[in-house]
Amino acid sequence: MTLARELGKRFLSLAVVLFLVTLFTALLISMVPGDPVDTLVPLAESEEADALKAQVREDLNLDEPLHVRYASWLRDFVFGDERGEHFGDYFRVSGRDPVSNRLAEALPVSLQLMVYSQVLALVVAIPLGVLTAYRAGSLFDKVTNTGAFALMAVPTFVLGLALAYYIGVWLNWVPPSGYVPFGEDPVEHVRRMVLPSLTLAAGQIAVYMRLLRSDMVATLQEDFIQMARSKGISDQRVLWRHALRPSSLTLLTVAGMNVGTLIGGAVVVEVIFSIPGMGTAISQAIFERQYVALQSFVAVLAILYVVVNFAVDILYAVVDPRIRHARARN
Amino acid sequence: MTTVTPGDPTTRTGSRRVQRTGICRTGGGRRRRRQRWLLALSALALVASACASVETGATQVSGGDDDDADAGPPQYGGKMVYGLEAETTNGWCLPEGQLAISGIQVARTIYDTLTVPNGDGEFVPFLAESVTPDPDYTVWTIRLRPGIRFHDGSPLTAEVVKNNLDAYRGQYPGRTSLLFQFVLADIDTVSVVDELTLQITTKRPWPSLPSFLWSSGRLGIVAQAQLDDPETCASNLIGTGPFKLEEWKVNDHLTVVRNEDYWRTDAEGRQLPYLDEIEFRPVIEQQQRINGLKSGELDAFHTSTPLTIDEMRALDEAEQVNLAESADFAEVSFLMTNATKPPFDNQTARSAIAHALQIELANEIQSKGIAEIANGPFAPGSIGYLEDTGMPRGDMEKARELVRQYEEETGEPLRFTITATPEPDTLRSVELAAQMFEDAGMDVSIATLDQSSLISEAIGKNFELMAFRNFPSLDPDNNYVWWYGEGNPVNFSGYDDPDVNRLLDEGRVTADPERRREIYQELNRVLAERGYYLWSTWTRWAVPMDPDFHGVVGARPPDGSPDFTGLALGHDMAYMWKEQ
Repeated sequence: MTLARELGKRFLSLAVVLFLVTLFTALLISMVPGDPVDTLVPLAESEEADALKAQVREDLNLDEPLHVRYASWLRDFVFGDERGEHFGDYFRVSGRDPVSNRLAEALPVSLQLMVYSQVLALVVAIPLGVLTAYRAGSLFDKVTNTGAFALMAVPTFVLGLALAYYIGVWLNWVPPSGYVPFGEDPVEHVRRMVLPSLTLAAGQIAVYMRLLRSDMVATLQEDFIQMARSKGISDQRVLWRHALRPSSLTLLTVAGMNVGTLIGGAVVVEVIFSIPGMGTAISQAIFERQYVALQSFVAVLAILYVVVNFAVDILYAVVDPRIRHARARN
Repeated sequence: MTTVTPGDPTTRTGSRRVQRTGICRTGGGRRRRRQRWLLALSALALVASACASVETGATQVSGGDDDDADAGPPQYGGKMVYGLEAETTNGWCLPEGQLAISGIQVARTIYDTLTVPNGDGEFVPFLAESVTPDPDYTVWTIRLRPGIRFHDGSPLTAEVVKNNLDAYRGQYPGRTSLLFQFVLADIDTVSVVDELTLQITTKRPWPSLPSFLWSSGRLGIVAQAQLDDPETCASNLIGTGPFKLEEWKVNDHLTVVRNEDYWRTDAEGRQLPYLDEIEFRPVIEQQQRINGLKSGELDAFHTSTPLTIDEMRALDEAEQVNLAESADFAEVSFLMTNATKPPFDNQTARSAIAHALQIELANEIQSKGIAEIANGPFAPGSIGYLEDTGMPRGDMEKARELVRQYEEETGEPLRFTITATPEPDTLRSVELAAQMFEDAGMDVSIATLDQSSLISEAIGKNFELMAFRNFPSLDPDNNYVWWYGEGNPVNFSGYDDPDVNRLLDEGRVTADPERRREIYQELNRVLAERGYYLWSTWTRWAVPMDPDFHGVVGARPPDGSPDFTGLALGHDMAYMWKEQ
C-alpha cells in the first residue's frame, strides 16, 4: 500500500513536472522572433510556396493560439497520434522523419555520457571529500578546496576545449572528439568518452567533494564516532564504514538533482566533442525551429529527471536505515 | 603547400595560382520580366551568409613545395576521415535539398552533375556528353554519356534525367521543389528525344543555362528509386558519383565506399576514385576540427576562417599538414543595407558607411591580411570583375561630412543596428566595423541572432544593416535571383533599381562574351555606386590534410580543360588519394 501510494505521488510529480517544463518550453519557443515557417520553408511569394507554407502552418497548428498548439502536442505525446507516434515528426519536405528514430539513437548516447560523468564525479569526489574532512585544515585540504573552487569557476566549454587540446592533441592519450558505440568497439568507446565525461564531471566533482567534506566534518564530531574510535576501531574503518553513510544524504540529493545540470552541460559537451546525443539533437532542433521535436526531447528529459530523483529517494532508505525504519513504521 | 592548380596531380607544379577569367556561354534573345518572383532562395546561401564577416585583405595564395608532385603518382586504397563544419540534417533529397558547403561536399561525392565548371569559368559537359544550344539559345540538346549506371545498378537514361530536372523545377509528382523551381523558372519544357538524349526548351534565350545545370554542385542527378521514394528520399542516397553510401548516422558520421563501376578515369586512364572509403564527420566546433587533424582523429577538414588558415599554413611549412587553399571563384562577404527603410533608404547614409569602413585596416587586425579585400561581388576570374569599381573606401573625413549631411537632410542622427550571427569571427568583424562607424559620428548598436532567425529577419526585411556572405563568382547570371527588384522577396536589401534590373535582364539573354563582360562590369560599377552592399572580402577556403593525403581538386572536367580551382563549393573527392 505504501509503495503504491509512493508510486502514485511520484507519478503525480512526474505529470506536474512534465506539464510545467513542456509548457514553459512551448512558451519560450513562441517568443523566439521571426516566423518559423520562413525557416522551415525558405521560400516566398509563389503559389506553390504559399500552399506549402499554409500546409505547414496547418500541420503544426501554427495559426492556433499557444494553448491549443500545446494541448495538441500533449495529447499526441501521451496518447499517440493517428499513426501511434508519441513524439511526432521532424518537419521535412522530403518524407517523414519520426522524432522517435532520433530519440532512439540519441538518448542512449546521452545516458551513457551522463552515467559515466556521474560515476566519475562520485568516484573522484567521495575519496577526496572523506580525506579532506579527515585532514580538515591541513595543506592537503586547503589545496584540494582551492582546486575545487577553480574547477567550479571554469566554464564547461573552456575546460572541454582545453582538455581536448592538452590531453587529446598534446599528450595524444585519447581522441579529442568523436563517438564509437560500446557494442562496436568497447575500448575505443571508453577512450572517446573519457574527455567528455571528464569535462562534464569536473564541476560536479568540486560540488560533491565540498558537500561531502562539509557533512563529514560534522559527522566526525558525533558521539558515535568518538565511541567507535574509543573502541580502537581504525581511522580508516571509522571513516568509510561509520562516517561516510550518514554523511552522504546531502550528496545523494544533490547528485539526483544534478541530472538537470548534466543535461544542460551535455548540450555544450556533446557539441564540442561531436557526440550524437540529446544535446546535439536539442541544439539542432532549436536552430531548425523543429518545435515538435524540441518539445518531445524536453519532455523525455523531464521524465528522466523525475525518474532519477525517484530512484534517489529510494536510495535514501538503502543508505540510511533510520529512514527505512521510519518509512516502515508509517 | 598544395595549390589547387590545373593538371594531373602527378604533373602539376605548385606555387602561385594564376587567376583565370570566367567566361560562360552566352546568347542573344528577348527581354523578359517576371511579375512575381523568385524565391527566397537557398537556406544554403542563407546559411552561408550567416557566417559573414567584414574583414578583408589581399594575401596571395602562398607558394612553396607542391606536396602532391613530390608524393609521386596517386595510389589506390585507404580511408579518409573528413571533418565537416555542420551536419546536413535535412538530408540529400536533392531537388528539395537545402545544402550548405558541408552538404554540397557530400553531394558531390555521391552524385554527379550534368556539367561542371572549368578553370576558365566555363561550364563543360560532365555526366552529359554534350550540351548543345540552338542558335537562339532557347532549345538545348543534352546527350548523355553511354553506359553509366547508378549505385543501385539502374542505368542513367534521358528519362531519369528528365524526371530529375522536372523534380528540380517543381514539375514532378510526389516531389516538392523548394528552391530550384524558382531558379529554373525559365525552363519551359524538358522532353526525352531518345534513350540518351533529352531536350530543354527555355522561355527566353538563356545562354548561361549550362551553369544552372551545375548550380554550385547542388544539381546532382539522383536515381529513379531515390526520386520516387516517398519516405526516405533524404536518406537513401543513390547517385552515379565516385562513392556510394554505406551508412549515415545523423550527427555522427556518413560513410561512403568506392564505386567500383565509376565512369571516370584519370588522365593516365586509371580508374577513379583512388580511395576505398571516406567517412564524413560533422565537427561543428572549429577548434575541434583543428585538434582532430593534429591528433590524427581526422585526416582532413575544410575551413574558411582566416586565423585557422594562418595556423594551418604554419603547420604546412613545418610539413605537419598538407594544405590546399583557394580564393578563386569565391563568395563575397558583405554588409547588406535594408534599402526599404531609414536610414539606408538614403544614398547619403549608404555612402557614409562605405567611406567609414577602413577595410585594409580591418583585414590586418582581424585576419592578419589573409582574406582578400573585395571591391565588388565578382572576384578575379569572373567576367564581371573590375580592378576598380569606384567603391568608396576608408575616407573618415568624407564619412564624417556625409554623416553631417545626412543629419541636415533628415533631421535625424545616423543611427542603426548591425545584425549578425554570434560566431566569434563574425562578431569580431562586426564590432570592428561598428567602431569605425562610430568614429565617423554614427550611432551604432549590434544585435546577434541565430542563423534561422537571421534568415527570417532578412526575408521579412526586419533589419537595418546585416552581415552576410553569398554570391559565388561563377556566372554572374546566377545572381539574377538575388538582385532583381520588382518586389522580389529574396532581394533582401529590398531595392528595385531600374539600372540593376535592366542589366540583369540584358545579361541573361546576351550571348556575346564581350557584351556580357561589359554588362556585368557595368553592373559591378552600379552596385558600388548605389551602395546597397558594403563589400568586404572574398572568402578564402582551405583544406588542411594529413601529409599522407593528396589530390584536392575543385573540379576536373573530363574534356581536359583546366581544373576549376575554387574550393567554396567543395572539391572533387574522386582525385583524393593516400600514400600507403
